[in-house]
Amino acid sequence: MTDKQTGLDFSMVIASTVHDMKNSLTTVMQTHAQWRERLDDAQRNPPECGVIDYEFARLNGMMVQLLGLYKLGIDQLPLRPDYHEMDDFIEAQLALHQEVLSGRGITASYDVDDFCPLGFFDRELLGSLVANIMINAIRFARSAIHISVREEEGQLLLTINDDGPGYRPELLTLQPDFVQGIDAVSGSTGLGLYFASQIAARHQRNSVQGRIELTNGGDLGGGCFILYLP
Amino acid sequence: MLAYNQKNFLIVDDFSDFRSSVRSMLRDLGAKDIDTADNAEQALKLCTQKRYDFILHDFNLGNGKKNGQHVLEDLMVEKLLSHESVFIMVTAENGQATVMSALEWEPDAYLTKPFNRAGMAQRLEKLIQRKTLLKPILQALDRRNPAEVLAACVKLTQQDQRIAPLCLRYKADALRDLKQYDALETLLRGILADRPVPWAFRALGSLLARRNKVAEAQSVYEQALKAFPLFPALYDGLADVLVSRGESRRAQRVLEDAVRLSPLAIRRQTLLGKLALENQDFDGACRAFRHAVIQGQHSRFKDPENNLNFALALMKRSADNGLDARGRVELNQTLTEVIKDHPHNQGLQARSRLMRATSLLQSDPDAAEKLTQDAVVRLRDMDDFLTPEAALTVADQLQLLRQPKASHAMLKTCAEIYGDDPKVMQSIASKTDDPEILTANTVAIDVNQQGVRLYKAGDLEQAQALFRRAMALQPRNISIALNFAQSLLHGQGPITDPDKLAECQACLKMIGKMPQSDGRFERFQKLQNKAFGA
Repeated sequence: MTDKQTGLDFSMVIASTVHDMKNSLTTVMQTHAQWRERLDDAQRNPPECGVIDYEFARLNGMMVQLLGLYKLGIDQLPLRPDYHEMDDFIEAQLALHQEVLSGRGITASYDVDDFCPLGFFDRELLGSLVANIMINAIRFARSAIHISVREEEGQLLLTINDDGPGYRPELLTLQPDFVQGIDAVSGSTGLGLYFASQIAARHQRNSVQGRIELTNGGDLGGGCFILYLP
Repeated sequence: MLAYNQKNFLIVDDFSDFRSSVRSMLRDLGAKDIDTADNAEQALKLCTQKRYDFILHDFNLGNGKKNGQHVLEDLMVEKLLSHESVFIMVTAENGQATVMSALEWEPDAYLTKPFNRAGMAQRLEKLIQRKTLLKPILQALDRRNPAEVLAACVKLTQQDQRIAPLCLRYKADALRDLKQYDALETLLRGILADRPVPWAFRALGSLLARRNKVAEAQSVYEQALKAFPLFPALYDGLADVLVSRGESRRAQRVLEDAVRLSPLAIRRQTLLGKLALENQDFDGACRAFRHAVIQGQHSRFKDPENNLNFALALMKRSADNGLDARGRVELNQTLTEVIKDHPHNQGLQARSRLMRATSLLQSDPDAAEKLTQDAVVRLRDMDDFLTPEAALTVADQLQLLRQPKASHAMLKTCAEIYGDDPKVMQSIASKTDDPEILTANTVAIDVNQQGVRLYKAGDLEQAQALFRRAMALQPRNISIALNFAQSLLHGQGPITDPDKLAECQACLKMIGKMPQSDGRFERFQKLQNKAFGA
């Protein structure tokens, strides 16, 4: 409340502006999609659209993340965990990125272990986490992304694997302290991972916290992101 | 594949761009029957005319307007939405709708903007699959048959143990409706021992409170708020518990926190206002009742008591130096609304006039006198029972307005109706020392208590005789009348003795005008149904 007297709280200014920007981006994205539907088949999917779709998704992801980080900072990021069907959750993610994936010629597949059809988590928060990791994977993948869900020692493991060059070695050595990876000059992969680890950590069960892990390899040989949910 | 051309859709959003975008996505998928609305009232109206298979509802319909959660609650309470229908809450931002959730009614899914056609189609397909899977439960819910819901949950869980978590909530609600409280408590404690689930905290807290385990309920809510500090519904639960433990100051602070998170909730503002009045925080009371009145304009929770309490809070706030210009305008507006809305309710008519008269006592004594005379006549002809709070306020104001006789009569009536409640009698005692009021009912109440003891011991005849005696002494006392009626109606079958039936009906008629807000009203209705064969 004292900010009212001393001047503007700049993080609030940013958050409120980003909120409006996000609404504006939503309108642009939806109008763009509508406009494309009206074009001939030949004109509908030029290579430029792949770039536009990808950057739309990236912009949106960054804004969601920024608002999320702001709310996290002021303890106002709500958590509402519930049971969700895992195949539904992953299918929804793939559907949201359908244009981007096909525009870049990337095949996305998934498998869910029969023994863990349900997960217990905040669907919106985890949705934004997975979307950000997907966007990153799409950027580096050559032709394939695979998402898998399995259980390990009572924890649910969600893995996002691509066939790109893998995570930079310095990112791998940073973990779990991703906040150090935030770099104003080289871009902010570290920020995304920091946000992801914060979301993971908010999912708790019997005082065990969720967490994330990065490796390289996996079945596809590229970057491999693993989310552990207790 | 979902047969889009055979389903009907409702899109609710205040932005026409968004409505047309979603409409064209649905058309591309093959949908033919698509309606749109740009505000809550229109959406509700459409839902009364037509049963929709899918409702895509934007959460935020503009500042100060009803939001998607309000519409969902209205649809459920008014039974305008089948459990087999799909309600999707569309939000602009993650978690936006979460903090407003009442935890009582939740949408089938949240969908965050922006979304593409594939993303929307995936959600619709999957939700229909889930509804198909849970069909036996959902149909039983539509039939309002909790026993059937419970049986369907058990059967589905047996078929596929893995989907058991999807049935938990339905099971808990069914156990609650069937009043199987032990089983419900076991279920909820089991769920919470495994994982912290917001709705289960709320359900367990309210169950424990209902079973008078208030200390346990309080610790459940405190634990819940540590895990989920952004759920206003959990603050509501904690506040209720604190009120029943007599901690009205703490309860007020808890509700203030909830209101900061989510101001759009009439019931929450109403309770907050009452607590603030009780705690002599008249600024706070004004704020809360002002909110409650404004939000009530288009709501099924509209309640004239909020208007009257707002007027009272305004006057108390400026008791020392009189109302300022804005206060006068607000007071007049809020009272005029009551007078217009309830032309045939003498109690409300009289109370509104007394409020206004009190506010005019210094500035316009002639007008005050006129209003007072009018109110006194109306009170004399009135047969409604006022709540104790209303009666005591009326008595105070009549005293101020130099109507000691009418004030005295009001206190006397209040003591007759609520004389067995020591808190009410204490308040009355602070306003009068007339033994005719303060002690007239002691014998009747003593006899009533003896009756209760004998009734519990199983001596029905003697209990009836005692209640009959108490009733003759204090015929308008609600507790005595209810006890007498219950003892006469005791047992499964109808009363065979015509004299006793007539006696029972007569005593229920005596208290037939009791306030519906009274905690005993439900009991009264049950007895009335039995006595009059509803």
